[in-house]
Amino acid sequence: MNQQPTLTQQPQSPEQQIPMIWTSKGNRPIAGLTLQPEWTVNDDYIKFVERWRDESGEVVKESAHVYDRKGVHLDGAVAAIG
Amino acid sequence: MANTQAMCTSFKGELLSGYHQFGAATLTSRGSLTAPTKDSFKAALYLASATINAATTAYSATGEVTGTNYTAGGVAVTNANDPSTSGTTAIWTPSASLVYTNVTLSTAFDAVLIYNDTQGDRAVSVHTFGSQTITAGTFTLTMPTNDASNALIRLA
Repeated sequence: MNQQPTLTQQPQSPEQQIPMIWTSKGNRPIAGLTLQPEWTVNDDYIKFVERWRDESGEVVKESAHVYDRKGVHLDGAVAAIG
Repeated sequence: MANTQAMCTSFKGELLSGYHQFGAATLTSRGSLTAPTKDSFKAALYLASATINAATTAYSATGEVTGTNYTAGGVAVTNANDPSTSGTTAIWTPSASLVYTNVTLSTAFDAVLIYNDTQGDRAVSVHTFGSQTITAGTFTLTMPTNDASNALIRLA
């Protein structure tokens, strides 16, 4: 009868147990930051900004994601001959 | 000064001269090159204070963003799909999002210039998206639907 291998877990340090996020001040606990989402929607694009502030209100992480709804176009034209 | 979304005027003329190759093609020889490879395109970000528009003829570092993990010249455009037609419109759209990962761009920017990295950095088009800064984060530009109404480049 096959025996299932026993999995061993490395004990986690307290820092590893806390969800962290990379910021301009290094890795910081997410719990200590405030997320401010911001949406911009118009005919040309949709933009989502995720802005994280620390306890002092300083922006320590800001990402933006833009969906370009419409590119650029060129109307071809030909002239009549004669 | 401001950036303005546009297809670069020089690009329109260069299309007729055959400067840009977005897709694979088998050509009747005009010389010795009958099966050229596709050109490589790049995407550079520009400050809101810059002036890039239809009159822009080539990539320039003037007015380009600078910051942590941003490389001058921008990122490569993924071009897995050749240009195609939809109805009476010719269309082309990059096959992946433009992603600037883990950058810090502290001065506001609002435009991206698509240009031909293979052919002397010749400008293709300018796209604007509102003023933005990035702090230890990612800036993603997701491409529009590749159809006759929305494709990034449309020749109707």
